[in-house]
Amino acid sequence: MVSTFAGKLPRDAARRVVLTGFGVVSSIGTGVEEFTAGLRAGRSGAKPITAFETEGFEHSIGCGVTDFAPEQWIKDLPLDSLGPATRFAVSAARMAVEDAGLDPAVLRRQRGMVSIGTTDGESHDLDQLVATELADGPEAMDPRVAARIPAGRLSAAIAQELGLTDVEAVTIPTACAAGNYAIGYGYDAVRSGDVDFALCGGADAMCRKTFAGFYRLGTIAPDCCRPFDVDRKGILTGEGAGVLVLESLQSALRRGARIYAEVLGYGLNCDAYHQVAPDQDGVARAMSLALQDAGVEPGEVDLISAHGTGTKANDVTETRAIRDVFGAEPPRTVSIKSMLGHSMGAASALAAIACSLAIVHRFIPPTINHTRTDPDCAVDCVPNEAVEADLRVVQNNGLAFGGNNAVVVLGRYDGNAQAEDATAAGVMA
Amino acid sequence: MVSTTTDERYAKVREIICDVLEIEEDEIEPEALFVENYGADSLQAIEILSSLEKSFGIVIDQSELARMVNLEAVNDVVTEAFEKK
Repeated sequence: MVSTFAGKLPRDAARRVVLTGFGVVSSIGTGVEEFTAGLRAGRSGAKPITAFETEGFEHSIGCGVTDFAPEQWIKDLPLDSLGPATRFAVSAARMAVEDAGLDPAVLRRQRGMVSIGTTDGESHDLDQLVATELADGPEAMDPRVAARIPAGRLSAAIAQELGLTDVEAVTIPTACAAGNYAIGYGYDAVRSGDVDFALCGGADAMCRKTFAGFYRLGTIAPDCCRPFDVDRKGILTGEGAGVLVLESLQSALRRGARIYAEVLGYGLNCDAYHQVAPDQDGVARAMSLALQDAGVEPGEVDLISAHGTGTKANDVTETRAIRDVFGAEPPRTVSIKSMLGHSMGAASALAAIACSLAIVHRFIPPTINHTRTDPDCAVDCVPNEAVEADLRVVQNNGLAFGGNNAVVVLGRYDGNAQAEDATAAGVMA
Repeated sequence: MVSTTTDERYAKVREIICDVLEIEEDEIEPEALFVENYGADSLQAIEILSSLEKSFGIVIDQSELARMVNLEAVNDVVTEAFEKK
């Protein structure tokens, strides 16, 4: 079947961008296999927070990564030179490169990009340093911990660990949408031919500062995250990292790589409407920009992975914006934050991986903890149980404070069938 | 604060509000609305709430934010919180 969206893509395999490797550190599993199983089972990452002292908070459930051993992945850099978010990022990058079947020695001879999004960088370390300073004075602060703090470490440490010298390593601090920003940045670099590969994603570690901030805003749920539910009570803070390997279709075909999905396009905007409140028009505009970039009509989208934080404000605003773009009957719209909590800068990177896995394995991850859909958020959120589905185009939303919106559109890569379509279209043109 | 008179408390409430809204204390009218008259936003409302909790050692339920629209109303909320203490 000739796909309408493929007809609008550039025919040149050197300009098409595909995803060939994933690294996952999450509260529902480490690595692609465990993560896929978690998504399919509707696993919940919620548990009492242990990353920091929670005394004084009436409730303190979060989605921490508690069973992760970074030393399994990080081989060259001393662990104590890396803060917790950087350990997640570097581990996920190692995993992604391995998953893509790439030899770091080969990558070292290529031009590359490392782009990692984050909300908090190493704020967990900063919290601890400030606590030390207050308790024992500035002279007691550990200089090794201080050196871990700059957010640029998230991407630079990946380049160091893999020995990549001919790379642009950039950390993108656009908070809760940062993973999608990082993917978009890498996508541009690959499709323009500036780089041969890009390691893109997001990373964050739970910290007291962000928990307290969201808590004070009244947006932390006491028990679990229930996106789109009439009784939703807010977010759970989470953590982890997701890293994706981007390369041109040409490069992937040449080396016989397994292709998870194709990046069809993305859209960004900053509506700057309010520090914390989302703006319906700004969100709708970001989605339209992404679809336009991807050459996809709204009716061609089979699934939306929503930002879906589970707060009153996000879910109602986002679903209204979705209806503005997609009409009265939008595609199924799920929130994997129901399982992972809000992993901040990692969130949209992990969600992009989830979207690709959904495409490959032909299922829709559920929105768990769901009892009754809020009539003000009228979407089919695939409550509680995964469903089988044939997905060709999936849209991944990431929305952040300040009106920083980033939306990525992914498509199924059908191998030879699509290549033949492309050839035919090329001949006709 | 161990013991404060109602007047002292009212003065402190006014000081906190003016501090957050960045206005002079003689500028604030008891019934003038924070949002409409002083251009306040929802984050400043939360800042007022948390400053009151810290200064007085009281707990104000987040749902009270909807009521805390002017100096008079905030003072009522604080008074009730003291009664519950």
